[in-house]
Amino acid sequence: MDAVREAARTFGELLERHEREIFAYALRLTGARPDAEDLYQETFLAAFRGWPPPRQDNERAWLYRIATNKAIDGARKRRATVSVEDLRLAAPERDGVTIIDLANAIRVLPAGQRAAFVLRAVEGRPYREIAGALDCSEEAARTRVSDAMKKVRAAVR
Amino acid sequence: MNATDRMEAVADARERLLARAKREGLAAVGYDVLDSPVGPLWVAIGPQGVAAIHFGPEPSEAELRRLVRVFGPGIVPDRKRTSGLCRELDQYFEGRRQTFEIPVDLRGLTPFQLRVLRATSRLPYGEVATYASIAKRAGNDRASRATGAAVGSNPIPIVVPCHRVIASDGTLGGYGGGLEVKRRLLALERAQVPPGGWPKRGQSATMAG
Repeated sequence: MDAVREAARTFGELLERHEREIFAYALRLTGARPDAEDLYQETFLAAFRGWPPPRQDNERAWLYRIATNKAIDGARKRRATVSVEDLRLAAPERDGVTIIDLANAIRVLPAGQRAAFVLRAVEGRPYREIAGALDCSEEAARTRVSDAMKKVRAAVR
Repeated sequence: MNATDRMEAVADARERLLARAKREGLAAVGYDVLDSPVGPLWVAIGPQGVAAIHFGPEPSEAELRRLVRVFGPGIVPDRKRTSGLCRELDQYFEGRRQTFEIPVDLRGLTPFQLRVLRATSRLPYGEVATYASIAKRAGNDRASRATGAAVGSNPIPIVVPCHRVIASDGTLGGYGGGLEVKRRLLALERAQVPPGGWPKRGQSATMAG
């Protein structure tokens, strides 16, 4: 649906269309509301500064890639404090994944793998989109998702 | 409850983001939608003042294109920036305000459009003038048709009171918000428009009524 829709022409349109899912993604990557707010803010500021989106890209994929990169950069600075209460704001959208799984994923996974886990296990994105967000091939995206899943399962046990 | 909480969290985050974007010069224009007695109004404030007022909850395609061309893509929702205009509009609709004090930002218009809109702005509350007389006041009395177009392109109706400009034959002429809105604004200002419009030239008011 997003692909056929015309591109946003203003920052306001970009926010109206994507801020909710980008915020949820930020919360799932960081595990705490203050960190999610920072990541949301950094993502959109970078988008505003880097406007317009690169032509070959749709704006949503572009935002996900910015958010993922910012999360990876920021992970070195951030302390990984996870708030289950905050995570309830972005409760997993898929069966078979609980808030506890997500909290564990945030605790044990490095930021890049965490993004792979969130995009696949929590948000159910197709591998094409995951590859776009992680800026890698679809094959590499599959590998990262599968490594991430293994680690999370091991951590739960 | 979850969804509501998440929306609140996003709204908080958005407010901080927009404050920062504005400080960095990334958000030239702030907009909001207000309720009014003539329906929802989409209003936008530029760096110097009111940049757009549109009848309806969204700007038209042409209007949005104009704003992006003039101000760039930094057009964002911003209730704080529009609050001064909202207050003045509320007072106007309650009949407690006859002139607007808020500054305007009409960059991007041609010198002729600006002259016409300036002449339109000088029309006193509750009075009407014809397109031809506005053309004369704008310094070009033969450009009545072009004047009509310039009045019609007014990006900030109500604040620039183009509803006070009517056709030479006494009919209402046109209005971006629709003739019913024009009629209601004039009625509000006690210009007492009879139902069916102003009497035609040469006819008496009683015949038209």
